[in-house]
Amino acid sequence: MVTSNDERGPAGRSGLELPKSPTGITGFDEISRGGLPTGRPTLVSGPPGSGKSLFALQFLVHGATCCAEPGVFLSFEGTRDKLASDVRGLGIDLDALEQDGALLVDAQSMARQAVDTGEFDLEALMVRMAFAVDKIGAKRVAIDSLESLFAAFSNPALVRSELLRLFSWLQDRGLTAVITGERTEDILIRHGLEEFLSDCVVLLDHRVVDEVATRRLRILKYRGSRHGRNEYPLLIGPAGLEVLPITSLGLYQQVSDDRLSTGITGLDEMLGGLGVYRGSSVLVSGTSGTGKTTIGASFASAAAQRGEKVLFFSFEESQSEILRNMASVNLDLAGWVERGLLHFHCERPTTLGLEDHLANIQRLVEQVAPTLVVIDPVSSLSRGTSRGDVSAMLTRQIYYLKSAGITAVMTSLTEGGNDLEHTELSISSLVDTWLLTITIQNSGERNRGLYVLKSRGMAHSNQIREFLLSSQGVSLVPVYMGPDGVLTGSARAAAEAAETGAGLGAEQESNQLAEAMELRRKAVQTRVASMWADFDAQEALTTRQLKASKKREEVLRAARLEQGRQRTVKPEDRP
Amino acid sequence: MRLQLTLFISGASPRSTRAVRRLRDLCDRNAPHGYDLEIIDIYQQPAKVASRGVLAVPTLFKEQPLPVRVLIGDFTDETRVLTTLGLSASKNC
Repeated sequence: MVTSNDERGPAGRSGLELPKSPTGITGFDEISRGGLPTGRPTLVSGPPGSGKSLFALQFLVHGATCCAEPGVFLSFEGTRDKLASDVRGLGIDLDALEQDGALLVDAQSMARQAVDTGEFDLEALMVRMAFAVDKIGAKRVAIDSLESLFAAFSNPALVRSELLRLFSWLQDRGLTAVITGERTEDILIRHGLEEFLSDCVVLLDHRVVDEVATRRLRILKYRGSRHGRNEYPLLIGPAGLEVLPITSLGLYQQVSDDRLSTGITGLDEMLGGLGVYRGSSVLVSGTSGTGKTTIGASFASAAAQRGEKVLFFSFEESQSEILRNMASVNLDLAGWVERGLLHFHCERPTTLGLEDHLANIQRLVEQVAPTLVVIDPVSSLSRGTSRGDVSAMLTRQIYYLKSAGITAVMTSLTEGGNDLEHTELSISSLVDTWLLTITIQNSGERNRGLYVLKSRGMAHSNQIREFLLSSQGVSLVPVYMGPDGVLTGSARAAAEAAETGAGLGAEQESNQLAEAMELRRKAVQTRVASMWADFDAQEALTTRQLKASKKREEVLRAARLEQGRQRTVKPEDRP
Repeated sequence: MRLQLTLFISGASPRSTRAVRRLRDLCDRNAPHGYDLEIIDIYQQPAKVASRGVLAVPTLFKEQPLPVRVLIGDFTDETRVLTTLGLSASKNC
């Protein structure tokens, strides 16, 4: 958004800059470099409801109260009393200002049903203006609005020439004027007022995008002066109109070395062991159900524990919902609310326009003076507005909080299917610490994971950790890194169990092996012993058998010898 | 009912003088119950100009009978003036 061609006009010759009259409208004096051109008329144009009457009135009130420049408000729309009651809510007390002679309101709705009977002029307009200006010594005037003047008379050429007379009178008197109108083209070209109203033209716009109304302001031209030429968000805050010029933000904020605990032990460890810097901005992004709100609540709880004030903006859940839901993860926020340390502000994002949300946040921050602000989630603000608007608003928000030294924790929902390392609001480059919550799906489970995508100015872990929400509280545990990859949830538990199991098994196995060897040794020994026993038995048997057979042989031989002897010795004895 | 009229004019300008003359003439001829005419010079009484929201000169307010009607211009269009004032043109004119 910050572009070098945001400014245009004569470069840097401050000596030649026009004298300017501040408007007191926050932001406008910045983009117009001091306000409206002094002594000249400015055309402020926009459709009904775009805030042009308020612009004119605020310009006068600021002159009356802060610049000692009394002002005349000449209105042809509505009545003085109605105007007074309309602006009372914005803290403008017309009655008091009129009593002080600092302001004169001449507001009469015209007799619209006037019957035209012949020639006339608008001398009374001149007289009214001159009378009012002289009465209080006015330096500023506002005329509201040209359209109602043209509508009241059937002869536009007459109105035009009378207006030219009025404008030149204003210029002669050196009055700084704001003239309001609805249709810029018509006023400048068709009614031919360009010649007198071209010094400074401010366009207001009022558009409805997705049922949410937003106002815009743009300086169409500013003769002889540098000015911001972008379209800026315009809002009607509690103190009237405010322009939000993102580009006028400087980079001057003080930094702190102080570190804050995130309230989650494992997360502090991941962030160099100390947590985030005070006054830094933290973005927690992820798909739905990944625990973003819980992280925000942890930050809040930790800050409250340190006795610091916290402001929690919730755009999706009510205070009681958050209290109940966080109690379920052992985060007792209700106690901090009771002790006045934690303030909730819950609002539907669509109830207000984007700029009103921003103004609201700033107002509450000023009221509560917290050290930590949680915005949950910033992504829901984008409903009904363009992304560019939201990122511009958040940029402003982040810088605002930073310059006040307030730590900001923002959550952002990443729609499913989108790249996780991408915020739809393009604020990722603005935040100091970016935590990404992810879901890890395996073995029929969905588990939460968290990692630190970036964290400026500190050593931080590169791990993905498993983010556990339980009734015991919030914790981060290292995921299981095994041969099968990253495991979470019950798979992690199982893997861890299996690992211990496996260790046990190995020990048992070696014990068993040793035992088995011992047994086998014993078995072998037994078998060897029995074999020896067999052998011994066999040997004994064999020895006995040998002895027996030797004896039998001797007996047989003796018997044969005897036989032979008997045959040879007694042959005559045969019969 | 008697007419109550308030006329805003700018000093002694020819148009204003003409307007006063024409209005008086018209009323003299056509107002059957008579009329009261208050003439306000915007230069002399600017506060009244603002309080009545007058821009054009001449401007005529018909205060009574109600409703209040407003006429601007120098009364050239007599028929319109009469209709707006609730008068009918008298036959002798």
